[in-house]
Amino acid sequence: MAQGHEQHGHADHAHHGPRTLPASLAAPEVLSAWRMRALIVAVVATVLSLLFVMVPGGKTHMLRGYLLGVILSFGFAGGGLVLLMLQYVSGGKWGLLLRRPLEAMTRTLPLVVAMFIPLALLAKKLYLWAAFPNSEMTEQGLLNHVINEAQAHSINYKRPMLSPGSVLVQTIFVFAVMLTFMYLLNKWSLQRDADVARGTEQSFDYWRVKFENLSGIGILIYVILMTVLIIDWVMALDITWYSSVWGFKFLVGQGYAVLALSVLSVILLSKFEPIKTILRTTEQHDLGKFLFAFVMLNIYLTFGEFLIMWSGNVPEEIPWYLSRIRGGWWYICTLDFCCHWLIPFCLLLSRDLKRNKKKMVWLTCFMILARCIDLFWIIEPNFPDAAGNLHLAGNIGILAYITVPLAVLGVWVAYYLTQLMARPLVVVNDPHLEEILEPEHAH
Amino acid sequence: MPPREGTYGLIAEFNTPSELVYATEQARAAGYRRMECYTPYPVEEAAEALHFHKTRVPLVCLLGGVMGVTTAGLMETWINVWAYPLNIAGRPLFSWPAFIIPAYEWTILFAGLSAAFGMIALNGLPQLYHPVFNAPNFRNGATTDKFFLCLEAADPKFSLTETRAFLEQFPAVSVVEVEH
Repeated sequence: MAQGHEQHGHADHAHHGPRTLPASLAAPEVLSAWRMRALIVAVVATVLSLLFVMVPGGKTHMLRGYLLGVILSFGFAGGGLVLLMLQYVSGGKWGLLLRRPLEAMTRTLPLVVAMFIPLALLAKKLYLWAAFPNSEMTEQGLLNHVINEAQAHSINYKRPMLSPGSVLVQTIFVFAVMLTFMYLLNKWSLQRDADVARGTEQSFDYWRVKFENLSGIGILIYVILMTVLIIDWVMALDITWYSSVWGFKFLVGQGYAVLALSVLSVILLSKFEPIKTILRTTEQHDLGKFLFAFVMLNIYLTFGEFLIMWSGNVPEEIPWYLSRIRGGWWYICTLDFCCHWLIPFCLLLSRDLKRNKKKMVWLTCFMILARCIDLFWIIEPNFPDAAGNLHLAGNIGILAYITVPLAVLGVWVAYYLTQLMARPLVVVNDPHLEEILEPEHAH
Repeated sequence: MPPREGTYGLIAEFNTPSELVYATEQARAAGYRRMECYTPYPVEEAAEALHFHKTRVPLVCLLGGVMGVTTAGLMETWINVWAYPLNIAGRPLFSWPAFIIPAYEWTILFAGLSAAFGMIALNGLPQLYHPVFNAPNFRNGATTDKFFLCLEAADPKFSLTETRAFLEQFPAVSVVEVEH
């Protein structure tokens, strides 16, 4: 309340009229400084990561940490794409506010594609489907006791989907489609603002319908394709295991991270024009509520998945959880639960916190960290040396999970900021613009 | 108790929320405290201009939720562990994962009901009579498209003439005296 009073309590009547946009809608200069900081973090983290080459198990953990970073970056780029399409079909002032940051996230997709190349080249070290690409090799692996019978069976059975050639085709196809959507949405967005008839009802309707038609089907396609990609590159780390909610769980996780990053971006940008003019407490509050919904949906799916497997108690499914609960993993599991759900849930219940810029900055950063913890809990126990056995002694390389994702994320953030600088931060040819410039009480 | 008589206050009718909020801020600055805004939909800035205190509805809602989760948890534990123990696929009697969904539902149910009834109770509802309904156009306007500011006679700064003059400086549609 006190803060609200500072903002709105001035006694001049002019304050209650609509605000005017600043002359320049370009991204503030400060973004280059932020990008420099992100690059410094990336360089420092890379140097620290390289130290792990020397320790036993360092290289394998670096690769796994790299996978974590890539999946997180993919979450931002792909999740940004789906949220961009979502705001086109749902409409609303929050979408107008986030559109340019979300577009910038989607335009990092080419970088994410490039990040997948090392993974594809080193796939043999991570995935059994890559290490045993045909039945003879699987047979050999079974005889040498490199894999067990269940694994050999799964590898052979799932080969139509999970083999190097097949995964490569799937990945290329998925990214090709996503890049097409990214290209069209970004191109049209600039054309929309440059429309000669901009500001007229006709222009509004023409572009709204055009974006809606692409986005509606785009969301469906994205969900299916993202599921394929995430099955190939994350779920298949354990070849024997499967879960039908897997794709949706990652989708919600992406929404969680993307929304946290979007809120973080607009709040940090609101210290400078032009976002300073268009970010109102109302929309920040709305985004906080939206974030809360993702926090709930995420625990709902994660717990639902667990409850169904716990109830079934089938030997094919339950080891996945046992290797994530036993042998020290209980600490990570609890940490994940607290950071990913309990803390954001309790804090986001508060109305004052959702309306407070500084606290939301801290919370959104914390939520992105929570995504990393969650991915660590999902990825690392897939490997035989770590399943049900979390240990640091003689396994110092596991710390690469801290530095390598940080390096990947640093590079990604630098690229995201570059993309953010490339366009004006406010879209102009949208009927919501007028509404968002109104004072807060004129709904 | 004998019926109260005399003036309840002066009520000004505005066409826009901006005018209402401005007038409210000015009244507050002029030293008025016993006043209230009436709007057809929530106008958060009006509440801010009034320096409206925080309500206790969130607290009631939270307590309801906590009550729901404890009641459900204890009930399920009591039933499954003591009252009617069943061996289900060899699982422990206290199988908390299975308890979570009903406990969650009860949390939502209790929190929702507490919020709704708590809000009604803290608003002092049901209330059969309120003097502001004596103002012309209030009954219709306050629920559709008009915004009202009432400066109450209980305020020590209230004076029929001065307060009226104060309110008339704003672009109000009307300023009328409301009887108890």
